[in-house]
This record gives sequence, structure tokens and C-alpha cells, in this order.
Amino acid sequence: MIFWFSLLIVIALLIFSLISIRYTENTVMENSMEYTLQIIGQVNRDIDYYIGYMENISAMMTESGDVQRYLFADMEEDEREVLERRIITQFDTVIKTRQDISNIAVVSSRERYIINNGADRLNENIAMNEVDWYMDALRRTNHRLTASHVQHVIRNNYKWVITLGKGILNPDSGFKEAVFFIDLNYKLIKDLCENNSLATNSYVFIIDEQGKIIYHPQQQLLYSGLKEEKIAEVLDCPTNYFVTDEGQASRLYTISASEKTGWLTVGVVSLSELMKNRRETQNIYIFTAAALLLFTVLLATFWARAITRPIKELKDSMKAVEKGNFGEAGVSPRADNEIGSLSNSFNLMTVRIQQLMEQNTYVQEEKRKSELKALRSQINPHFLYNTLDSIIWMAEGGKNTEVVRMTAALARLLRQSIGHENDRVTLEQEIAHARSYLIIQQMRYQDKLEYEIRMDESLRDEEVISLILQPLVENAIYHGIKYKGSKGLVTITVAGQEDHLILKVADNGKGMDAETLQHIFEKSQRNDQNNGVGVYNVHTRVQLYYGMEYGLRFESELGSGTTAIITIPRARQAGTSGDNENEHEEHEEL
Amino acid sequence: MNMKNMKNYKRYLPLWILGIIGVLTVVFLYLNNRGNENETYHIIYIPKIIDETSDFWTALIEGVEMAAAEYGMELTVVAPETEEDVERQNELIQWAIEQQPDALLLSPCSYTETTPYARRVVEAGIPLVLIDSALDEELAVSCVATDNIRMGRVEGDFMKQFVAGDAQIAIIGHMKTTSTAIEREAGIREGLAEYEEKIVDVVFCDSDYDKAYELMVELIERYPDIELVAGTNEYSAVGAARAIKDLNLGGQIKVVGIDSSLEQIQLLEEGIFEGIVIQNPFKMGYLGAEAAAKVLRGEDVAPIVDSGCELITREDVYTEENQKLLFPFKEE
Repeated sequence: MIFWFSLLIVIALLIFSLISIRYTENTVMENSMEYTLQIIGQVNRDIDYYIGYMENISAMMTESGDVQRYLFADMEEDEREVLERRIITQFDTVIKTRQDISNIAVVSSRERYIINNGADRLNENIAMNEVDWYMDALRRTNHRLTASHVQHVIRNNYKWVITLGKGILNPDSGFKEAVFFIDLNYKLIKDLCENNSLATNSYVFIIDEQGKIIYHPQQQLLYSGLKEEKIAEVLDCPTNYFVTDEGQASRLYTISASEKTGWLTVGVVSLSELMKNRRETQNIYIFTAAALLLFTVLLATFWARAITRPIKELKDSMKAVEKGNFGEAGVSPRADNEIGSLSNSFNLMTVRIQQLMEQNTYVQEEKRKSELKALRSQINPHFLYNTLDSIIWMAEGGKNTEVVRMTAALARLLRQSIGHENDRVTLEQEIAHARSYLIIQQMRYQDKLEYEIRMDESLRDEEVISLILQPLVENAIYHGIKYKGSKGLVTITVAGQEDHLILKVADNGKGMDAETLQHIFEKSQRNDQNNGVGVYNVHTRVQLYYGMEYGLRFESELGSGTTAIITIPRARQAGTSGDNENEHEEHEEL
Repeated sequence: MNMKNMKNYKRYLPLWILGIIGVLTVVFLYLNNRGNENETYHIIYIPKIIDETSDFWTALIEGVEMAAAEYGMELTVVAPETEEDVERQNELIQWAIEQQPDALLLSPCSYTETTPYARRVVEAGIPLVLIDSALDEELAVSCVATDNIRMGRVEGDFMKQFVAGDAQIAIIGHMKTTSTAIEREAGIREGLAEYEEKIVDVVFCDSDYDKAYELMVELIERYPDIELVAGTNEYSAVGAARAIKDLNLGGQIKVVGIDSSLEQIQLLEEGIFEGIVIQNPFKMGYLGAEAAAKVLRGEDVAPIVDSGCELITREDVYTEENQKLLFPFKEE
């Protein structure tokens, strides 16, 4: 039960976790994308701000009267030198304060120029009118920004820079005839691109509208053709992000376009880096699921126990009742729930059954007692009549001694038959009763009957139920000896065994065949001649009184006599058969 | 199963379930968190020289460094003081073997004398990658270098357009016995094709600017009709170009060179050089270290890798592509 319960919990948790993880994955992905876009947007704004700052410097210089006069006005050389020095001082200040500026220069188409501190010369091998960005700056009204390129117009320079140029208007001619330019190295741009809170393994690069590189952390690798960047994809991307299809190495490209410069700032984050977050979330979910599982399984176990324990108790109790063991049947009362009311009902039921059974036992006992009473023998009126008839004959014959003897025997017999309130008599009394009967019969049948009584003297005081020997003796005489031609012998033997007594009444009469023996206890065999208290009567009484394992049995052989054997328990107080059974059952149970 | 075992089994069932759940969780977490932690390899690179004034070697070492960083390898670079110090380099190779690196990158100073030491490297079970120069024995798992014959062929082929009439051609080689000089000369001859017979002399400057300068002056004296000179490396080409420039013969005697340096570029801008054929040292270094990384990862590498060469003429010095080739990108 716990197993299925756990399985249910596992499945439920699994489904929940899977859905949660999937949902969280999407959320994490969206958040990461959002976050990356924000950062890239910020980098873009920073770059714009940076370029804006440079444009301000540029505007300051191009609007400067000093610069314009130096470039275009006709004046004495002395005067021009003064101007030149002032401009150089300004340039110097800028160069010294800004590490990110490689060159700052103003160059007129008339080859009048100042570069940096004035010492740098133009590269005489380069014709300025063949330099694209220079000519472009002259044509444009606003600033001209180049992509990364080698600054070759300055002699011995050849630095990789980004050039910001602006044409300077000659107020006299109304044409732009000179260019101010600043060469930016990558110090600040690199800082802006690298010092952000993007995940590790990510990078930022910048390209211009044509896809030319402004800055890329692996610029040299790209230039050497050792690496490729997805520039075409970035330029073609209709939205502000795309994901490359590279399996495990898939990357997220986020793009932020600058309206000011037209540059595209691109952030590249490997998906696996984003997955790192996802993996953490996954771990949290799994840990939580595992912990919940642990908790619920423990709880389920506890609850299941709480439910099954009273049920098990009830079951044990029912088993006990099944065996009739009402003593152990009580179930401890439970809380007010289904199991509790079941237990209470069960308790009520067992009590009721116990009462019914006790009542039943009592009724049975009473019934048996009355039956025993009914079965107690009365003197057969035929026998009494015959005996009295014999006494009359003897009295008429003057046989006084015999009359006295027979009358005495009859008196004893009658007294013993009626005289006992109690069912139980000592063996001695029972033997005496049988003897009185034998004496009477012997006198009646004269020489036809002899008897013998053998009893261990130590058994004299053993108690037995009364009137069990006499009917057997009667049976021996009427069914055995009577049909024997010669003299018959009735032997009564009482033997004591360890826990029971054996009473035998044997005759040497005609005996019985097997079939007669088999039907001996059947009621139809009862015979009025046998004064109604027959063999069956004895057997039934013994069994009623002592229990089913005791009783009467016959051994007989046709022609050589019959022996009736009674087995009864020895020295035992009378008990009910029900109790005996109970005791027996208890043994079994233990 | 008897009653008692059944009971025990049932009693411990929750524990079993918990145990299984626990194991499954741990296994899952392990699988889930098993990242791609790669072993950090240690490699040593021994170039012919570490010379910060040499654009070639600076770019080459930079390439090696870049690839090492890219592939997460720890890199140590040691080199002799001069390119000719074969003995010192051999000592360094011996030292490197003792360091037991995962791989050794080497630019051998000598085609023949470095070989026994290179063999020791291989015998020590260390994968050897040659960069820039080869050895007379095939010991390396990979050799990344410029195909010198091809380079010479490009130079020779370019020279053809300047050959006219009875023009005489001279070649200033850098070292008579060096494989690069021999191969480049052969390449030039191949490239010149039908004009090969116009070569009147081949001289060697022993990689010395001044000697090349003198040889150039001598050649001009000896062969008045000389119109075309080819250098086979920076020293020979620049030496020759300097002489032409000093003698104001620019344009009359055309010079074609190999390799790039600032001076060479300026001479190209000035028109002394008609063109130069340049190697790609950065790429060479990068591919060399990359080959080592691939070998260590058990991937296939080609035994010979050509890092390529490029012809730069006066007209196209500042095209975007050539800028990238001529000037190693620096962030400042």
C-alpha cells in the first residue's frame, strides 16, 4: 500500500517538476534574453555618450576661431606661429588627459596642418585626396566615423584606430577646406564592451552599418581569417536577437542599434551559459521534489500505519472470536472515526455473542440435568411383580430364610433406587446395588445363575453416577444367560487406571453376532422387558455426564458371551462438556 | 518467501523507496552538473628568438598565445638570444623535455642540427609541433609554416610583368644553406618561368641589412643593365631597397621583397618596392598552437599546414584586406 502511495506521490511530483522546469526554463531564457538586451542597450548608450563627448571636443575645435584663422586666414608667419602654439596647447591638453585618443589633428586641403603636439608629420606618400574618410568628412555636414582602420596618413604611425572626422568651413570661400579628426584607440571602447555584467564566456562586439568591425575582442583572429563572426546574420536580423543553431555551442546574439552612429552593438552569450541558471533552477526543483518526496513518504508511512494498526487489531480480534476466545476479543476503543465506530460495533457484537453463548450453555446444562433425571431408573414393575411373586411362593413354601433374604435384598434395591437425591454414589454403593439385584435374580433362577464381583478395595470410595451397573447386569441376564441352557456366570470387574475407571460386566451367555452388536444402542432395541432403563440409557447418561469420549462399549462373541465395558474418568468433579472443549481449544491456540 | 521475511520486506519498503529516490536524485544531479571541465594542458613554445623589434616574431608569438588562451592551455615561451644560436636552442629543448609539457612547439634554428634534440622530444613521448621551419626528419605531428616554394612562385610571377627586353634579374638570398632561401629561390625561378634565364646572379647576404646593401651596390656596378631585384627575406629585400633608394634609382631598378616591416611598408609607399609577398606569422603561430591543442584532444591534424602568403603591391597597400594583413591589430 505504501508502495503504491509512494508511486502516486512520485508521479505527481515528477509531472509537477517537469512542468515547472519547462516553465522556468522559458522564463529564465526570456529573462536572460531581456537582461542581455538591457546590458547591450546600456553598452550602446555608453558608446553613444562616448562618441557624443568626442563630437563635442570636435565641435569645440572646428568652431574655434583660432583654428579657422590658422587654417584659412592670410597672416604673417609670426602671427600664425602664435596661433599654432595655442592650438597645440589645446591638443596637448586633450591628448594628455585622454588615454583613449591616439591622435588629434587638423589638416587643411592646402597642406597646412597640426598633428598632436605639432611634431608629427603627414605621410608624404599618401595623397590626402585619396583618403576616403578625409574626403567624406569634407563633404558631410556632420561627423564622419570610420570603422577600425590603420591610420596611415601620419608618418610612422600606422596605428589601428577609429577616426572621428569633421570638415571645417572656410568662412571666406563657403566651402569645407579642412578636416579636424580624432583617432580613438580601443581603450575606452574595450572597457565599455568588456566591463559589463554579462555572463562569463560572453562578449560584445561593435560593427558599423556596412558590417565593418569597430571593435571585436578577437579582432586579430577575425582579420587573420582564423575566426568568423556572424556579421551577415547580424545585419540581416530583422529583430533585436537571434539564436545560432550550433547544438551544444549555440549562442544568443542580441543586437542594439545606435541611431547616433549607426553602429550595432552585439552581445554574444552562449546558451549553455544561460543554461547554467537553468541548471541551478533544475537542481533546486529536484532537491525540493526529493525533499518533498522524503517528507511525504515518511508521512504516508506514518499515516498508513495509523490506519492499518487498528484494522490489524480488529482482524486479530476477529480471529480470536472465530476460535471462540472471547476473553481476548476486546478491541481498545478508538478515536471517533470510521475505524473507531467499527471497533466499537465489533466490541458490542462480541459481548452480545458471549452473552448468547453463556445463555446457550446454561440452557443446555439445564436440559441435560432434566434429561438425566428422566433417565434415572425406576424399578421395573415387571421385576417388582415377579420378585414379590417369588416371595409369595417362598413364603407359601415356608422358606422363611429365603423370604427374609430376598425381601431384604429387594428392600436394599428399592432403597438404593429411590434413596439418592444425588446422582453420584460411591463405587461401593453402586456395587452393592448391583449385588442386591443379582441376589434377587439368583434366588429366582435358582441354579441357573452365578455371579462374581471383583473390585480393588482401594477403589471403594471412587464416585460414579448411580445406576449404571444394574442395567448392564440385567441386560447380561435377560439377553445372555437366559438363553443359555446351562448355568450362567455374571462377572463384574472394576479396575482403576491412572486417570479413568473401567467397569466391566461380563457374561458367558449366548453372545451376540456382529450385527446385533452394531445396533445395540439403537432405540428400537429397547425392549419393554428391559424395564426401559436399558443399555442405551446407561451409555447416554455416561456421555451426558462425563463427556463424549467416555461411555459404554461391548465386546461379544456369538456362543461364548458378552462383555459390557464402561469407561469413565477417575476422581473427577463433574464438569460441563462445554468447558472441556474450551480448555481443549485453548491448548490448541497456545 | 516466508511470512517473516515478507514482513521485514514490507517494513523496510519505505526505506527502500527513499534510498532509490536518493540515489536517483544524486545520479541525476551528477549527470546534470557534469560540465565540460577540460584538463588544462601545459605547452612550451621555443621560437628562434624573442625579439620585440621583429614584427614577424612578435606576431607569431602573439598568435601562439592567442590560441593557447582560446584552447585553455598554459603556455611558456623560451628562446635563444639570436636566431643563429642553435646550441642554446638545443639546451632549451633539453630543458623543456625535463619540464614534461603536454606538447612542445618549436621553430628550429637549424634544419639539421636541431634534429637530434627534436628526436629526444618525440622519444620522451611529447607531441612535437613545428612552426615556421621544418627539420630534415619527419618527427613532428604537424608542421605549420609558409609554403616557401609557393611564396617564391608568387614573387616570381609578380616580377614577370616588369621584365622587358634585355632586362637582367638578380636575386639576393638570405642564407645559402637555409631551406627557406633555397625553396624561395626555386619558387621565384618557377614563377618567372620563361624569364628565368634572365637571372644573372644569385648572392647571399647572411641575413644582414648592410651586407645586402653592399651586395646590391656591387650588383649594380657589375650588371649595369640590371632592372629587377628579388629579395628572399626582410634583410635581403630591405638592404637592397635601401641601396636603390640611396642611389636614387627608384623606379629604374624595381625591387620585389618578402616579409613585411614598417620600413618595408614605407619603402613600398615610396615606390622603391613594387610589391612584397608577406607571410602571416600571427596565423602561423595560432595554427601551430591549435594543432597542439587538437593533438592533445585526440583530433586529427594535417602533417603539413600552410599558413599562406599574400602579395601586397604599392597600389593596394591600404585596401581593407591588406591593412589587416600588413598591420597586426593592436588595441592601442
